[in-house]
Amino acid sequence: MRRFLLVGLGGVMAVPLLAHTAPTSVAIPGEATAQGDIAVTIYQNGQSLVQDTRRMNLPGGRSKQEFPDVSAQIRAETVTLTGPGIGIVEQNFDYDLLTPAKLMEKAVGQTITLLRTNVATGAETRVRAKVLAANGGVVLQIGDTIEVLRDDGLPVRVIFDKVPPNLRARPTLSVTLESKGGMTPTTLTYLTPGLGWTSDYVTLFDDAKQTIDVQGWVTLTNNTGTDYTNADVLLVAGNTNQSGGRRSFQMPYNPSTGTIDEAGTESNDRERLGDYYLYPLSERTTISNAQQKQVSFLDVKAAPARSTYEFNNGWLATNEAASAASVLKFSTSRGGGLGDQLPSGTMRVYMRDKRGDPQFIGESRIEATPMGSAMSIRTGEAFDVKVKSIVEERTRLSSSRWKTRMRYEITNARNNAITVDLGQNGLWGDVRITEQSQEGKRISADRVEWNVPVPANGKATLTATFDSRY
Amino acid sequence: MRGLTALLMMSLASPVVAQTVVVSGEPEAVSLTVYRGQKYGNAPIDPNWPTGYALVTETRTVTIPAGESVVRFEGVAEGMFPESAIVTGLPRGVKEKNRDARLLSPLGLVDAYLKREVKITRTSKATGIARTYDAIITSAPGGAVILQTGEGYEALHCTGLPERMGFDKLPANLSVKPTLSVITQSDTPTTAKLTLTYMAAGFDWQANYIAQVHERGPDGKSKVDMFAWLTLANGGNQSFVNANTMAIAGEPNRVARAVQARPTGGGLQLKCWPQQRTHQVPLRGNYPYPPPPPPPPYTAPPVYMEADAEAIMVTGARMRAEKSMSPVAVVVAEQENLGDLKLYRIPEAVTVNAKGQKQVAMLVKPGAAFDQLYTANIEDHAGDESNDSFPMTTLFRSENRAEKGLGLPMPQGQVMVFENSRYGPLLAGQTNLKDRAVGDELEMAIGQASDVRYRVTKISETRERQRFRVQVTNARNSPADVEIEIPFELRGSSKGVTKIDGVPTWKTTVAGNGEAVLFYEVKLERN
Repeated sequence: MRRFLLVGLGGVMAVPLLAHTAPTSVAIPGEATAQGDIAVTIYQNGQSLVQDTRRMNLPGGRSKQEFPDVSAQIRAETVTLTGPGIGIVEQNFDYDLLTPAKLMEKAVGQTITLLRTNVATGAETRVRAKVLAANGGVVLQIGDTIEVLRDDGLPVRVIFDKVPPNLRARPTLSVTLESKGGMTPTTLTYLTPGLGWTSDYVTLFDDAKQTIDVQGWVTLTNNTGTDYTNADVLLVAGNTNQSGGRRSFQMPYNPSTGTIDEAGTESNDRERLGDYYLYPLSERTTISNAQQKQVSFLDVKAAPARSTYEFNNGWLATNEAASAASVLKFSTSRGGGLGDQLPSGTMRVYMRDKRGDPQFIGESRIEATPMGSAMSIRTGEAFDVKVKSIVEERTRLSSSRWKTRMRYEITNARNNAITVDLGQNGLWGDVRITEQSQEGKRISADRVEWNVPVPANGKATLTATFDSRY
Repeated sequence: MRGLTALLMMSLASPVVAQTVVVSGEPEAVSLTVYRGQKYGNAPIDPNWPTGYALVTETRTVTIPAGESVVRFEGVAEGMFPESAIVTGLPRGVKEKNRDARLLSPLGLVDAYLKREVKITRTSKATGIARTYDAIITSAPGGAVILQTGEGYEALHCTGLPERMGFDKLPANLSVKPTLSVITQSDTPTTAKLTLTYMAAGFDWQANYIAQVHERGPDGKSKVDMFAWLTLANGGNQSFVNANTMAIAGEPNRVARAVQARPTGGGLQLKCWPQQRTHQVPLRGNYPYPPPPPPPPYTAPPVYMEADAEAIMVTGARMRAEKSMSPVAVVVAEQENLGDLKLYRIPEAVTVNAKGQKQVAMLVKPGAAFDQLYTANIEDHAGDESNDSFPMTTLFRSENRAEKGLGLPMPQGQVMVFENSRYGPLLAGQTNLKDRAVGDELEMAIGQASDVRYRVTKISETRERQRFRVQVTNARNSPADVEIEIPFELRGSSKGVTKIDGVPTWKTTVAGNGEAVLFYEVKLERN
């Protein structure tokens, strides 16, 4: 039934639009589309591939076919039209748009009608005028006199006999093709920017049970200026490289989100395209212009998670007490985790208050994460856990060595014991730790980390002495 | 059932399955949790542009027919982050969430009526007679409407005549406001109680403390009544009636939002050939219009206290001395822990008005013990060779502990310090407080004491060392506790100098109408 309707419309709309002089009457504007069976593949770097299969009633031989209802941001250079018995002569993308100024410019040398209205009596007089020039103002020849249009500020209707042939209401894609004629299924393929997707994760953390419920949503955004009606949608997770093009996009700046502690090594049977994961939407859907659409793709209940704290000190300096970061750790592995890949997006974490209502406790960007990864999400700064760093002593050992004794005071105003991962950065390679009150782990040449237990409603002190060049 | 459920059969752009549109007009119950925004330099909340956000949870009842239906949510906060919306309570869950931002507007109408018939009505200014013509919109690219009439082609509003367009029907898919809707399915007609949760911009809150200092003790011990308002602001156009209202202290992490669907629509900006004078119209009218000027900054009306001032004159000082700056709070926000954040719940449902600011008491701690002292840092006037004396800073210090009469989490905010005098409580100073957990040290610097001064004099200098004298003078008739930080590596030991948090600090008590002197030596490191 619907297909039948589309066939009819496709036929009507394929006639060159400017040939329409009789008004078309369609019941509700905004409803009809010339699109056929449409498939949209959306990538995460702002590119999308649109495949539009239209059944067109083609005349035999050479004809010019216009394609309305393609993306308003179409990358015209990427257009391909295929179909049985079709040969392409040329493809055109015309964007000379019809505006009053253009209309006037193109009327230079031609004759137009002026309809003047007498402001006192309402009487109308009609004169023919020749447009001599349209540079800033419009210079007209009326009979033997030369005038500037509307220099007197009085009302005058300017009526043009015709619209120049290649001025269009919208940028228009047209293809000149050769065909045997008849009803032909044609497939139009092109790339367009303005369609994108990301993921949004809703994570509910249960502090008592130390578990998380995670729902994943893909969020599509359409800013192309065009609706995609009843489309078959496929999402590709991963960024394809891209160069050139009329609207060329650089690879987006993708800093590490610091959310993957240990990259996973598991795989599942999710469909892939090379190194990208595919997320097909299970049902056809309409993506309207200026619309944001969300469809669920992940729902995991009661995966184990634990909350912990982290603090990074930049360089050996005295700093006021500052809050440690609250960190949520969990896994994406099949056993004991979310059991799926996570496409990049934003994870929002909620937690129930005393009445049992979920409240927002923070969000973090996550990057595309393989299955089996150990993850840590920084949700925010802990009100009750603070770290103060103090330079206790700084002495010069020799002309090139300094001794710096640091004290770190960690306070915990919570009524449970916690562990804070305290990191000291900026050690360069040659800073030696000559003394420390607790064994630390030299993660890299630049950084040392201590896991400091802090009692409930208590305080812990860590001291370390560094031997450095500066 | 207050949730308006208008059922209209409407075929949307995807007429594969007939979808019933169910409109959920307004929530029955709403709860609002406000999170703080970043404020530059402890500035107060900007009521016109609150930088924080809120989590809104609404309960709505809708009647869903059998089959597939679209539930449209109206009356949500306009700062909504649609990507954060969570809808629960539907019998078979949510198939799709959509947020449409094609707005019903002059531009939206012209866009939808491209290549369609509209009516043009021209009214004669002289006779008042209106004539209506049929026309087809042949062009609607941004800046122009070109009409095809029976006589030829014309451009709308380029004639100087009063003319207007008329449209037959409302185009499909245009919304009055950006609207969130969900597609859902049901086997049978059901009445469902939904919960809609979303985050929205345009809210903010902060704590506003009032610290009233009772008589300063001669030993430097003072009793201070601590009181705090929870000040929350809603900068949006949506009121929240009888809302279960909460505020969250602490810093939840936030990240930049992904690309958003941009609302389409707006006014028609028509560009024409010259209308009045030739020079008024640019050669090519394709330059973007400058943005409209920003609204004038909000300035609070000046508060004149003339009536009050007169009352002092007439009734004398005694009346004012009895007034207290700490209000008596009947409703105090209740605090609970939410993970590593602090949640303050207003115990009664309150109405948070659109474009409104609201204050509820959140902390009442009368009689907290504070120590009063005078502080300075030698580097405050580094580079000043004048050998002048400088006033020291008056500071109130305590610890956020129950023994001191405190012992509650204290969220960051502005502090107004009042001191009792013969004329009643007077403003002694304003300061800011950062987030203070239980057990943290509290310091409120309230102003400069011109009677307690210090002077630093360099006595001698060699290649390795500089020798200084610090002199503190006290013109008050009570002893002054003094702390001066000397942030250098000192040679030898000076009496009364200890390291506090790694910084050598001179602590002493200067007798009333007396003075104290310290000598110290700074080691110079020269390469």
